[in-house]
Amino acid sequence: MKNGEVWEEVAFNNRDPVYLQVVRHFKERIVTGRLGPGQVIPSRRDLGAMLKINPNTAQRAYKEMEELRLIVTEGNSPSRITSDGKILRSIRSELLGEAVDRFVSTAKIIDVPMNELLELVKAKYLEEIENRPNELQEGNQS
Amino acid sequence: MIEVVNLRKSYRRRNVLNGVSFTAEKGQITCLIGINGAGKSTVLRAIMGLTQVNSGTVHIDGRPMSRELYEKVSFIPDRLTMPLGMKMEEAMQFMADFYRSWNPARAKELIQFFQLNGNEKIGHLSKGTAAKFNLAIGLAQDSEYVLMDEPFSGIDMFSREQIADVFSSDLLDGRGVLLTTHEIAEMEHLIDKAVIMNNGTISREFDCEQIRSDEGKSIVDVMREVYLA
Amino acid sequence: MSHYLKLVHMEIHRFRYPLAAMMGLTLVWQMVTLIIHVNGKLDRAADALIHNLLVNGAALERFSFADMIPGMLYSLPILACIAALSVYVFLIWYRDWYGRVSFIYRLLMLPASRKHVYLAKLTAIVLLVLGMLSFQLLLLPVEQWVFKLIVPAEHFEASTFGDVVSANLVLDVLLPRNFDRFALSYLLGIAAVIVIFTAILLERSYRLAGILYAVGYASICTFVFLYTMYLMWTGSYLYPEEIIAIEFAIGILITAVSIWLGFRLLKKKITV
Repeated sequence: MKNGEVWEEVAFNNRDPVYLQVVRHFKERIVTGRLGPGQVIPSRRDLGAMLKINPNTAQRAYKEMEELRLIVTEGNSPSRITSDGKILRSIRSELLGEAVDRFVSTAKIIDVPMNELLELVKAKYLEEIENRPNELQEGNQS
Repeated sequence: MIEVVNLRKSYRRRNVLNGVSFTAEKGQITCLIGINGAGKSTVLRAIMGLTQVNSGTVHIDGRPMSRELYEKVSFIPDRLTMPLGMKMEEAMQFMADFYRSWNPARAKELIQFFQLNGNEKIGHLSKGTAAKFNLAIGLAQDSEYVLMDEPFSGIDMFSREQIADVFSSDLLDGRGVLLTTHEIAEMEHLIDKAVIMNNGTISREFDCEQIRSDEGKSIVDVMREVYLA
Repeated sequence: MSHYLKLVHMEIHRFRYPLAAMMGLTLVWQMVTLIIHVNGKLDRAADALIHNLLVNGAALERFSFADMIPGMLYSLPILACIAALSVYVFLIWYRDWYGRVSFIYRLLMLPASRKHVYLAKLTAIVLLVLGMLSFQLLLLPVEQWVFKLIVPAEHFEASTFGDVVSANLVLDVLLPRNFDRFALSYLLGIAAVIVIFTAILLERSYRLAGILYAVGYASICTFVFLYTMYLMWTGSYLYPEEIIAIEFAIGILITAVSIWLGFRLLKKKITV
């Protein structure tokens, strides 16, 4: 496999455009540190085969990511993740914002005072650092 | 582009095809969807000149079907097309003898892809292996269009996965694919365009990603609309 | 042209086992019947000798190979092969539709003209018939040699090739004495095969109604051919040679029409 990475199969839902789901998958990988800035990514064709999607879909995803300036392609060299810190940070906030939105709208249904909620979040976070230190460290680097 | 215009066919007083029109572009995977007996196979056979229609036309890149076009358009039906007594590699030699567009390197690649044993006789193959072999001889041609009739029908799960992998590989590189199926589940995320057939005509013809962004619907959702209306 | 030859090769190749079986059956059957017949004859000759010695004085019976082969037993395998090949005139088409494999799909999708498919099947039938005929012809001297081996000199009588052929009814019909009759009969045979092929294609193109068309077509061709012959033989001013010439022309016409129709059906009307 290229990059020493294993691109495991992603489960796609059939109601959202597949190419957008691929873009989102890339964003998640960037944010979790599995794709570093400037890292080389597989070609469209290889990605298609690895994720088991239509090569046209992979093509569309790459085009979208190029428009979002998530990836850069210089001439004939393979595409890479952008090194632009601003963009990478904005993805981070985007995904983080979404995660917070989801959490808040779910938690809101359970009538809990905000302080208690924040305490619970802090406790859970610390617990996670203890159990899986490596993952979170990488995320803290960007 | 494969352009089908107003195909009509009646057989023993039944209107099998009642004005079927659609297109399948090169470089895209188009799926003709319909329930069993809807006439999907008939459409493919009509395109290939293997059966007659009462009226309507078929054009491939602007030209009507002819025997030279068999080099450019390959058809993979839902049954075996090579004699049982032949070994798989003999069958491939037969194809190489007749088709200028036969690509021996790709044939070899496909045999490896599907893990086929060239020495085995076609009569001894299991259903799944036979389907894979069929696919192999259809794809080993340097054809510009590939038509497939029910490639997954009645095949074991592992063979199906292997066959599905063909669609995400570069084996279909740049070709126009038209396939029929009634089992859309495993194919949803692999096809570009869906053409839904009902009562001998085309009810819906759409780009899959477009339907997902515009209406948030999957192909199965649209099928429900068509068939349960 | 090469497409045609490849198709002929394919048609013969796929028939190789039945062909080998037919040849094998004929060889074995005829040899065995010959040997049994000869031994029986020798036994009876021995008895007759004793009887004659006692009654009239010695007289040795002599017999030839030609004497051994009349009778249905010897010709049985030939008739069986004729039957088998007659059935194959139909099967050579129908086998491509039925069974686990629809080879007809592949034949119709070849970038070669479909005429070649038709002509290859016709050529295959002709080659098979001529092949079996040649095989039988070759067998005769071999059997004659075996005969010479097992018959003691005092009973042996030579026979010519002509004697041998005319001794057996079936052989006599299959191998006519003069070339004209040979050519005429076998050309008639080929014409018949062509008419049958076209009838088969009619059936395959029109299915249910096709059976009627097929039978009708074959009947019309046969009727036209025989009826014109009948008309000319009975009460006409024509010499026999002229009648034959006209019949020949009619035969050619029927053949040409059948081939043309067959090609058209294959090109435009056939359905899998």
